[in-house]
Amino acid sequence: MRYKITFDEAKCVACGACAVACMDQNDIQAEEGQLPLRRTFTKESRLHPEETFGYYSHACEHCDDAPCIPACPSGCLFKDPDTGFTVFDTTNCIGCRSCAFACPHGAPTMGLDGKMLKCDGCSQRVKAGLLPACVAVCPFDALTLEESYNP
Amino acid sequence: MTKEEQLFKAKIPGPETGIEIRRTMCDICTPGAHCGVNAYVKDGRLLKVEGTPGYPGSNGKLCTKGAANRQYIYRKDRILSPMVRTGPKGSDEFRQATWEEALTLIADNLKKIKAESDPDSIVWYTGYSKWYRPWLKRLCHSFGGHNYMTESSTCYKSGWMASNLIFGSNTRPDMGGNPQLIVGWGSNPYINAYLGGRGYAACKAAGVKIIIIDVRRTQASEKLADLYLRPRIGTDGVLAHAMAKVILDNGWQDQPFLDQYVLGFAEYRDMVSQYDLDTAERITGVPKEDIYRAARMIAEAKPCSVSTNTGITHHKNGLNTCRAILALNVITGNVDKPGGILPTTDTFLEMGAGFETREEEFIFETRTPERLPLVGQKRFPLWYDMNHDGQAMDLTRHILTEDPYPIRALAAFGMNTRMFPQTSQLLKALEKLDFMFATDLFWTDACRYADVILPACSSFERGEVKCYPGGFMSYTQQAIDRVGDCRSDVEIIAQLAKRLDTGDELLMQGYDACIRYIFEGNEEELTEARRTGIPVRSKMARPTPPGSYLANGANTPSGKLELYSIRIANLDPETGLDPLPVWFDGDNDCDKEEYPFTLMAGARIPNAIHSRCHNVPWLRSLRPDPMVDIHPEDAKSLGISQGDLVAVSTTVAALRLRANLTLTANRGELHMFHGYEEANANELVPNTENDPYSGFPSFKQIRCRIEKDAADSNGAAAQEERGGKQHAL
Repeated sequence: MRYKITFDEAKCVACGACAVACMDQNDIQAEEGQLPLRRTFTKESRLHPEETFGYYSHACEHCDDAPCIPACPSGCLFKDPDTGFTVFDTTNCIGCRSCAFACPHGAPTMGLDGKMLKCDGCSQRVKAGLLPACVAVCPFDALTLEESYNP
Repeated sequence: MTKEEQLFKAKIPGPETGIEIRRTMCDICTPGAHCGVNAYVKDGRLLKVEGTPGYPGSNGKLCTKGAANRQYIYRKDRILSPMVRTGPKGSDEFRQATWEEALTLIADNLKKIKAESDPDSIVWYTGYSKWYRPWLKRLCHSFGGHNYMTESSTCYKSGWMASNLIFGSNTRPDMGGNPQLIVGWGSNPYINAYLGGRGYAACKAAGVKIIIIDVRRTQASEKLADLYLRPRIGTDGVLAHAMAKVILDNGWQDQPFLDQYVLGFAEYRDMVSQYDLDTAERITGVPKEDIYRAARMIAEAKPCSVSTNTGITHHKNGLNTCRAILALNVITGNVDKPGGILPTTDTFLEMGAGFETREEEFIFETRTPERLPLVGQKRFPLWYDMNHDGQAMDLTRHILTEDPYPIRALAAFGMNTRMFPQTSQLLKALEKLDFMFATDLFWTDACRYADVILPACSSFERGEVKCYPGGFMSYTQQAIDRVGDCRSDVEIIAQLAKRLDTGDELLMQGYDACIRYIFEGNEEELTEARRTGIPVRSKMARPTPPGSYLANGANTPSGKLELYSIRIANLDPETGLDPLPVWFDGDNDCDKEEYPFTLMAGARIPNAIHSRCHNVPWLRSLRPDPMVDIHPEDAKSLGISQGDLVAVSTTVAALRLRANLTLTANRGELHMFHGYEEANANELVPNTENDPYSGFPSFKQIRCRIEKDAADSNGAAAQEERGGKQHAL
């Protein structure tokens, strides 16, 4: 089984509940400047008269062909065989940020220990039959967990 | 990492990790949502929160603030034990005390003041949270007092009064009754009440038309509105009257409904006749075509509801504006009908659940006749007439002037001084008191002025009963170990009832005995709800079919829906209050050239509720700096860039904070969220600018000016360098 966390822009209002649930799940130390692994954005377009507001929630896309995986010289990143999420074991991480440079979405960040940190799709929770923290909390169902059969 | 370590890190509940899920409830915001929470707990400590699937209303969801319950509960500034002040008032100099010593000190002082002066020289105030209000009010009564007042002196009650003046009841829009059109006036439900946001979104998906009327562009105006109207601050009443005139001029009103159920239509029609479309466009700034279109949509949609929200009440003309808005439901006959505006009856804690309790009896049975006028009674006679409580917005003046008698002591339960306009004046007043005690979870400004502080606990650290629409009642139990030596507010009240020699046996018995008294007839449901942690439906719950309210006559003095209020007409004419919902200019009196902008303090942001979340790092990280929202063109003309340090000044104060350039703010208008220690927006609001009908402060319409701080050269860069760049909102 493979999973995707899908995002429906039409339903998102960038309230930040997903980011806070992520911080609660992952013990993010915001007071130390650490960022959540999922973030929300409001984008205003000020090209009068086409003034528009866009609301977004964003985290690791868990790409099928994730460029961060081959970019890591220490082999820290890999696909979780049960969920298909891009997960990691940073025991051997040297903090070189190659993963971050390779990622087109800016997903990998550095933890306070100087090692890579990113969204792992709450893969342990999904394996235990629970929803990722951000999906569970989303007040407007903009985030959903979808199953996909990817050969 | 071993398998067990991985599971524990991911906080997976079960025997391998020893993590247990316990059911509790979020109490960070007001009565209403009270979302069910699954608390992930190990060894009495909270590891994570999640919504409880299937819970009435919230059904597994939490809002931005509720998701941060763990950091909220373990905030670094939690009060850990009773404290007694050793330094000057307003300082941080306190020493730890035992509960015995603290409670004795409080009881001795209050009994002494009561004996020397009058029980009403003691004020009983409560802010957040609100779960213990009936208990505190009963304690005030049992001690012989009446000067009980709440934070509802600035919130909710004005809208409740407006609704009661017209309908004789509180009302709600019937979103589930297949409306054709919903008008959300001053409503951004996505952010201020996410369950309402879900309701709106569901209606939208079902094809219901939506009009949003708001001075700010919001998620609701962008995502929900088929038609969005943006009046200038403080002119909503004109807009409502102009719509009414369009409806009446075209004969679109529901005349049979008006003839049968409504009082004062002729006077009302006369009053709105002065608001033609040109006048309305000039005053409100809303194009007259849009006013006409909205009026036509409201008249043609059957059924339709027009609802008003708390932001509307924070103006000098707030209560009348609410009445003007609600009157649109009356003239179109959309009252007490499915999909229209429905009267509501409170069950418990201002929540209607479709059954009756003995809450009123519990609160009032120990009340003695009043001997002295209550705080605010003379200044805000309609407030007193409808609430019979003190109006806390007159507390500062009353203490400082001792008019009409001295206030000597204050019991401050969860008091947030930054909810008072021109807060520094209140702090001056607190300094004058002979005795003050505070209960709170956190160190607040009010605590610093108290002689004794008692530590209270969060909803996770105690149990309580809550009601939910549909006849449900929950009875939670303590889910985690208490932080420090804190106690629940009701435990504190019960102990005070004993030490103050009230002789109130029921109150002294504590929470469960009182609850079983209030919820007489629901004993089995209470036991079941407490045992399972899951809300149970009361067998006494009965749906109120639309139409039954008007059939029995409205609960107003005339028995009709009152566009002309008999209650106001019966007040002393010297009060100067108009029985009709007349509009008047709420702008404060000052030099308009010196103060060219209008400030609105307190429009909601998702990561804060008043000041309770500002010290929660996860929530604060979403918008780290207090900021003033300004339209980009206004900013440009003043040479202000994103993140610049600016000074915002009114006739009474000035604040320095960062500028946020955004299209959410209209030209000429500024928005600031309130409650920040370093930038208290309400300090800018003069303590004299109150709605004469409700007493509510004009938080949302104050003249101001904004200037770039000359000393700040590169705002955005400096902001980013300090690590203060917002990452979300």
